[in-house]
Amino acid sequence: MASVTIRDVEKSYSEHAVMHGVNIDIEDGEFVILVGPSGCGKSTLLRMIAGLEDITGGDILIGDTVVNDIEPKARNIAMVFQNYALYPHMTVRENMAFALTLNRTDKAEIARRVARAAEILSLGAFLDRYPKQLSGGQRQRVAMGRAIVRDPQVFLFDEPLSNLDAKLRVQMRTEIKELHQRLKTTTIYVTHDQIEAMTMADRIVVMNDGRIEQIGTPLQLYDTPANLFVAGFIGSPGMNFIEGEIENGWFLTADGIALPTPPGAAAGKVVYGIRPEHLVPDPAGVPVDVTVVEPTGPETDVFGKLGRQPIVAAMREGPPVAAGEKLRLTARVERVHLFDAATGRRLPTGIPGQAA
Amino acid sequence: MKQVPLFIVLLLFCVMNLTPVAWGFLTSIRQPVDAFAVPPKLIFEPTFRFHWEIWVDKGFWRFLINTAIVSIFAVTISVSIGSMAAYALSRLRSRAASGLLFSLLAMRMFPHILLAIPFFVIAQAVNLIDSYPAMIIAIVALNQPFTIWLMRSFLAEVPSELYDSAVMDGCTPWQTFRRVALPIVKPGLWVTVLFSLLLAYNEFLLALVLTRTNTKTLPVAIAEYGAEDITYWSLSAAAAIGIMLPILIFMLFMQRHLVRGMAAGAVKG
Repeated sequence: MASVTIRDVEKSYSEHAVMHGVNIDIEDGEFVILVGPSGCGKSTLLRMIAGLEDITGGDILIGDTVVNDIEPKARNIAMVFQNYALYPHMTVRENMAFALTLNRTDKAEIARRVARAAEILSLGAFLDRYPKQLSGGQRQRVAMGRAIVRDPQVFLFDEPLSNLDAKLRVQMRTEIKELHQRLKTTTIYVTHDQIEAMTMADRIVVMNDGRIEQIGTPLQLYDTPANLFVAGFIGSPGMNFIEGEIENGWFLTADGIALPTPPGAAAGKVVYGIRPEHLVPDPAGVPVDVTVVEPTGPETDVFGKLGRQPIVAAMREGPPVAAGEKLRLTARVERVHLFDAATGRRLPTGIPGQAA
Repeated sequence: MKQVPLFIVLLLFCVMNLTPVAWGFLTSIRQPVDAFAVPPKLIFEPTFRFHWEIWVDKGFWRFLINTAIVSIFAVTISVSIGSMAAYALSRLRSRAASGLLFSLLAMRMFPHILLAIPFFVIAQAVNLIDSYPAMIIAIVALNQPFTIWLMRSFLAEVPSELYDSAVMDGCTPWQTFRRVALPIVKPGLWVTVLFSLLLAYNEFLLALVLTRTNTKTLPVAIAEYGAEDITYWSLSAAAAIGIMLPILIFMLFMQRHLVRGMAAGAVKG
C-alpha cells in the first residue's frame, strides 16, 4: 500500500491544455473519488496515474517514487475499467491469472492468489466460465478479482458501475466499499455519479474543466461547498440557487420575495443557496406555486416557482400537495449558503461550524 | 411463412451456382461424345476413367503439390505480415497510417495483368522464373493489401480498453498483439486465411507468366487441356472437379470458425 501524490499535474494535447495544475495528496489506505461532469479531466487524471497517458507537466508520486516515466506494469497498480475489459478468449481463472502469468509468478502462488480473490468475491463457481457466460455484476467482480490477485499498492477504478442497472449498482457500491475496508488498499475511483461519490468516498475531489473545485469529505462538500459548482454538483435534487440581494439582514429577490439570511451576511448581490431538504413548510413562509410533484418514497420532491425563479423542495412529512396548489415554505436559516454573485465563491456567514 | 420468398431467392441462387459444378461433374464422368451430344443424352454409362487418367496417368498430382506449396507459403507469409501490419494500423490514429491504408487500397486496384509483366521481367532478371519463391513472392505482393485491410477491419472492433488492460497487466506490445488481439480476432483470422488461400490456389495469370514445367500450378495445367479438341474436355472437367475438393474440405473444417461471433463478452451488449 502507498500514498499517491499529484503535484501540479498538467495535461495538454498538442497546444490544447485540458488539465491545469492539479494537486491532490492521497493518504495510504484512503478511498478517494474523483467526480465531475464528463470532460472534466477525471478519467484523464486516472489514466495518467495508471501510466496510460503521458504527463505534460508536474509529478505523480506513488509512495515516495516519482512515476512519471515508469511504465504502467512497474507502478504496482491495478485498474478496473468501465467496460470490465475482460479478455473474451480467457476463462475467469485465466483472466485473473493473466498478469501473474506474464511476470512468471510461480504456478502454486498464482493458484493460491486466484483462489483467495475468488473467495473474497464469491466467484469460486465461475472460475472455468468465459466472460460471455457471466452476468454484468459477475463480470464486474471478475474485473475486481483481476485487480485483487495482483495485490497492488493502489487500485484504480474508472467508472466501474456505470454499465450496471440501478439495483446492481447499489449492491456493487457496497461490495466495493466492503472490499476496501477489508483490503485497506489505497483506492482512486472515478465517477460522474455524485451519489456514488458521497456514499463510498473517504474524500471526494470535485473536478471541473481540468481544475479541482474542492477536495473534502462527503459531508464537508455537502455542508460547506466552496463554490456554486460544487454546491450544484453535490446533492440530488440539486441545491436551489436564488438570485437577489442582501438588504438589512434579509435576502430579497427581484420579485420582492424575502428570505431569512444567516447572521453576518454582508449587503450586496448574492446567490442564495438552499438545499431542497432544508426547505420546510411554514404558514408564515414564502409562497411557492407548485408545478410538479415527484414522490420518491421516503420523500416527495416538490417543484415549483418562487416568484419567477424555479425552486424545489424535498418534503419528508407534512400535508400532501398537488400541482397547481400553493405551498408556503421557509428556509432553515442555519442551512443557508451564500455565494458571491460575481465569482460564485462561498461567502462567510456567522453560522458556527460553517467555514467560509 | 414470411421466409418463403427469401427461401426461393436463395434456392435460385444455389441452383445458379451449382449448375456449372453439376455440369462439370457430369462431363467428367461421360465420354466426350456423350457429353456434347445434342440433344443432351440423359442415359449414359458413368466412368471415372478420366479422373484416373488426368490425376495419375497425366501426372496432375504434381501440379496439385506445386499449387499446395505455393498456396501454403503465400498464405502463411501474407497472413502473418498482414496481421501484424493490420494490428499496427488499427492502433495508430495518425494521418500517415490512413495514407498508407489508402495507398494499399490503390495497389489492390491494379489489374493483375499490369503487375504480371513487371513481375515477369523482375523474376527473369533475378533468375527466378519457374521457381517457387517467384510465385510465392508475387502472390504475397498481390494479396498483401487485402489481408491488411481485412484483418484491420476485424482488429478495429477490439475495444481499446482491452489493450489498456493488457498494458496494465504487463504485456509488451508483442504480447498485447499475440496474447490479446490475435486470439480475439481468431474467427476473422480464419476468414482471412480462407480468402487468401482461395486467391493463391486459383491464381492463374501470374502462374501462367512465372511458371514453366517445374512449378506449374493446377489452374495453368488444366487450362492446357481445354483446347478445341473436345476429347480433352472430359479430362479438364475431371481436373476441375478435383481441384475443388481440397478447398471444399478446408471450408467444411472452417465452418465453425467462420460463423463464430467476435469479441462477445469483452464489452457489455
